Amino acid sequence: MRRSSMKIGSMKTAVLILFLAFHAAAQTDWIRTGTGLGVEKVRIAAPDFKASTGDAANAPLIKVFNETLFNDLESSGILDVVSKSFYPLQTPGSPAEIQLDAWGNPPPNAAMVAFGNLGKQGDDLAMQGWLFDVKNPQSPQVLGKQYRETATEDNARLIAHRFANEIIMRLGGGVAGIFESKIVFVSSRTGHKEIWIMDYDGAGQKQLTHLGSISLSPRISPDNSRIAYSTFGKRGIELSMYSLELGRNVSFPHFSGTNISPAWSADGTKIAWSSSMRGDPEIFIADGNGASPKRVTANKGRNLAPAWNPKTGSQIAFVSGRTGLPQLYVMETDGTNVQRMTETGYAVSPSWSPNGQFLTFAWRRNYGPGAPGAQDIYIMDIASKQWVQLTHSGGTNDYPSWSPDGRHIVFESTRGGSTQIWTMLADGSQQKQLTFGGHNQQPNWSFK
Amino acid sequence: MAVRAEIFHLEEPWKGPVGISVALHGLAFAAVLLIGGLTGRGDSWGGSENGQGAMSATLVSSAIPLPSQPTEKKNVLATESKGLSQPEPKPKAEVPDAIPIPDKHVLVKPKKEEVARAIPSKLPPPPPTNVVPYGEGGPVSGPFTMVKTTTGSGGMQFGAGGSFGSRYAWYVDAVRRKVSENWLKYEVDPSINNARRVYLTFDINRDGHPSNVQISQGSGIPSLDQSAVRALQRIDTFGALPNDYSGSRVSVEFWFDYRR
Repeated sequence: MRRSSMKIGSMKTAVLILFLAFHAAAQTDWIRTGTGLGVEKVRIAAPDFKASTGDAANAPLIKVFNETLFNDLESSGILDVVSKSFYPLQTPGSPAEIQLDAWGNPPPNAAMVAFGNLGKQGDDLAMQGWLFDVKNPQSPQVLGKQYRETATEDNARLIAHRFANEIIMRLGGGVAGIFESKIVFVSSRTGHKEIWIMDYDGAGQKQLTHLGSISLSPRISPDNSRIAYSTFGKRGIELSMYSLELGRNVSFPHFSGTNISPAWSADGTKIAWSSSMRGDPEIFIADGNGASPKRVTANKGRNLAPAWNPKTGSQIAFVSGRTGLPQLYVMETDGTNVQRMTETGYAVSPSWSPNGQFLTFAWRRNYGPGAPGAQDIYIMDIASKQWVQLTHSGGTNDYPSWSPDGRHIVFESTRGGSTQIWTMLADGSQQKQLTFGGHNQQPNWSFK
Repeated sequence: MAVRAEIFHLEEPWKGPVGISVALHGLAFAAVLLIGGLTGRGDSWGGSENGQGAMSATLVSSAIPLPSQPTEKKNVLATESKGLSQPEPKPKAEVPDAIPIPDKHVLVKPKKEEVARAIPSKLPPPPPTNVVPYGEGGPVSGPFTMVKTTTGSGGMQFGAGGSFGSRYAWYVDAVRRKVSENWLKYEVDPSINNARRVYLTFDINRDGHPSNVQISQGSGIPSLDQSAVRALQRIDTFGALPNDYSGSRVSVEFWFDYRR
């Protein structure tokens, strides 16, 4: 009935695999397999990479690399990473050194092993990595990769992210890992609410804007080149555009009234936002550069927080107060076919999953006096309107945003006293705090 | 001379011949004694000089009432009586595991496969002599024709024919996982508790996109069949086929077991 219980179905999964090679003109291999609803995670071991050279500067780079790779695999959501205490003593650094038996049998009992070596060669950091299928000794190699970057700790982290991405690509059914993706957010740690950016795991937090004003609701464009956000300017709350390539604000048309909550379409050519330029806050859609704005909603009450369907680009979810408390709605991009998604409570901040099936949003299901319900993160299957509550830890949780692989959600939470940014898997597990200093809020996960 | 007419004339002299005869008999008797004394000394066969030989054993007089010798009158070899003393119950030997002891008298050829498995896999197994280079072998007479009609769960068979699944088991696993993730149980009619297996066939193109989704064997429950098809329709890609795989597509037969 619910998505989480579907995933953790206890039914036994049986496999039937068969292969058929026709000698006919169209030679086709057959796979025969099946499911009983259970989904098991791949058990993977990731022993520390070995030093390939004797350079004295290797140690810190290798340490960063190993930690990053292990953390990436652990947070992928589809892998069950074997604890390092189970590993055999002998650490392989190349395919010639690996003993598949030692990894495939208990205690590691792994199905996959990611291993390799890296070291400083001149000014560069060279890395060789492999992914081996332990249970298939005939042709164990799933992946073999080489990377070479300037030897810095950031690049060691980058190489680890890229290698982990390749592993997830192979084992996750063609969905690339999220380890190179970014999260933009609002942080007040400098005293002003400015736009910041960080890696998916909270590393490398960097301030982007220095406006000394209040900047809100950053949304990164699908090609990771620009960030649309709203800021308190001299002429009201207006939309602004920050270019990540240029490292500064670029011009964007001024619209009167209050302009908030921009949202990119998946192809990056359109931008939707909420503007009160004609009185009531309504949803507008314009080109990516702000040209030719068009109003798509027209009713009493506020309409705001649009979110595009990234799969089709033809639907928008938004929040409307047309019946009183804010509720979630879905409509076509031309404003037709409006469907109400939530019936009760106080629902805000929709974000559409990359596969187009689900919405995640913040919801206070029981709102009002005498109903001290917390505001929590939910996901809803759009076709059936069935929902699952993901957070239960108290505090106010808001601004959920899907990761590009659809397996993670970033959100803000006040559970620790201050507003901070957290991530979790899309089933609510593995909740992890990313930011710690000041107040950090309104995260938005990049498209890739 | 006058002929003697009396045949039986008693005047015939006899003392001389009798004397000779007696002498000769006496001589013969003496000779026998002499030979016996010289050669026949010692134990005679069958007896002893003391008269205690087997032949001279005598029973104890029956005048003294002695207890009779215990004699086993029953034929212990043939009786069916278990006797007075019961045998000690045998301690039950604990059988650790019911591993049948191989019968020594039956000659079994050791299976070659098992021998090959027992060898530690450090050494690469020698290439089998009957390997056909991939793609040059013609139609494979593997077990899949049999399995194609398999119903139920008896089909855990690995076809030895095509090389895709054996070379890219991880890809097959990813396909299975991805379909499972996209199969939403609540799309099935909630009144259904059990259903027959649904079989779908589809192709995976080079870029990983599934196409040609067909129900090859339905369950008879439309909502279940639909949910299986929808699971495939939700999937954009399984990930590109492995780079070193030469084929342009892979066909998949996928079954769904539904149990609430």
